[in-house]
Amino acid sequence: MMSLHFQANYCVSASSSQTYPGITESTEEYKYVERLIPPSSVPTPPKHDQYPTPSGWRPPAAVPPALPYMVRRSRMHNVPVYSDITHGNRKMTIVRKIEGDIWALEKDLKDFLTHTSGTTPLMQVNEVNMSIRIKGSFDKDLKSWLLEKGF
Amino acid sequence: MFRRSLSVCCRQIGKTFLSTLPEDVGLPSNLKLPPNLISTAKRERPSPVGSGLPVLRKCEIEIPPQLSAKQAWLESLKDDTLGLVELHPDVFAVPPRLDILHEVIVWQRNFKRISHAKVKTRAEVRGGGRKPWQQKGSGRARHGSIRSPLWRGGGIAHGPRGPTSYYYMLPMKVRVLGLKVALSTKLAQDYLHIIDSLEIPTPEPQYLLDLAKQRQWGESVLIVDVHEDMPENILKATANLKTINLMPVIGLNVYSMLKHETVLLTVDAVNFLEKKLLWHDHRYSPLYPFRLPYNDFP
Repeated sequence: MMSLHFQANYCVSASSSQTYPGITESTEEYKYVERLIPPSSVPTPPKHDQYPTPSGWRPPAAVPPALPYMVRRSRMHNVPVYSDITHGNRKMTIVRKIEGDIWALEKDLKDFLTHTSGTTPLMQVNEVNMSIRIKGSFDKDLKSWLLEKGF
Repeated sequence: MFRRSLSVCCRQIGKTFLSTLPEDVGLPSNLKLPPNLISTAKRERPSPVGSGLPVLRKCEIEIPPQLSAKQAWLESLKDDTLGLVELHPDVFAVPPRLDILHEVIVWQRNFKRISHAKVKTRAEVRGGGRKPWQQKGSGRARHGSIRSPLWRGGGIAHGPRGPTSYYYMLPMKVRVLGLKVALSTKLAQDYLHIIDSLEIPTPEPQYLLDLAKQRQWGESVLIVDVHEDMPENILKATANLKTINLMPVIGLNVYSMLKHETVLLTVDAVNFLEKKLLWHDHRYSPLYPFRLPYNDFP
């Protein structure tokens, strides 16, 4: 009895397999995968109507300033001034990505910082890396100063 | 006083004696030049900037406004100079960081190194399980085994143990900067030449040797093209030559560039290098390894 019932079921599935629709490969849905794959390089920032943007970002000047040195932007298009802290209380500011006459920039930085803070801060010029390390935290002042210059 | 004047006199005598001898007396033997050497100083090529030849290749990637493209001669292995080529300054005019070149070359030599030196410790040397003589009473020094490091034939205490790997990876950006610095220094020292293609008229190795001598390329030449399938003539010519070598651009490395005196790059190789090396200047940090697909991977 049980075997007859089983055979009856099997017969039903065998008859429907004759109209098997087959497999169709479609690559049209791959576009939903493609738009999820991230880019590998940082895009150039779009042109805004008004500068500075709400976050305070400004692009570099179209014509580089006529100075003996140049400070390039970082890969995320920001001004390369960074703050460093060691021993929990020793604050320093670093200016990186300098090109050209680094000593002229050091002189200008010294003049600017003596003008703002009163005392002349200690500065270390690293000619191999083309960076300047300043004792004290002046990152906001230096960022705005470099932006005014047009870097 | 007499002793001091004597030492001063001896030094004076020594100086006058040495001045009569040839200059390389104090040099080691491998640095002494043979006396019959005819050394021809490398004649300086005219700078490509002032000449009126047309610029046959411009940079595809944007150059920053404060820098200008570097110009170089476009040569051919068959004929004379064809024209000028513009090279991107962020690849071919980078400041000469010799410390980075040193780091990259040391890395290239050491990261593949596996030293197989291995010596047996006192546990691995055959024998030495039994105490040779009793602790007290024999009159001799006390010992626990005949294979301790103190004994002749004993194990080595702190010797090299097994295959040791010296593998380490420098950051990707340091290796990329090393390539840029090597290319820039080769161009600055006039050891880099750009050629249009690798076609030569004969598969004779003597043709390339004569060409290298005539154009004063130096002792060794590294020829770089994009793909491995190069014209048959040049493959046959360089097959048995030790000093002139072919290389696809993916195999370009700082060690080979410094080992060979001159480097010849084809224009396609220059395009490839500029594209790949400049991508590192504005790429994100890898979200997942770069060997997996990205939207705009070069």
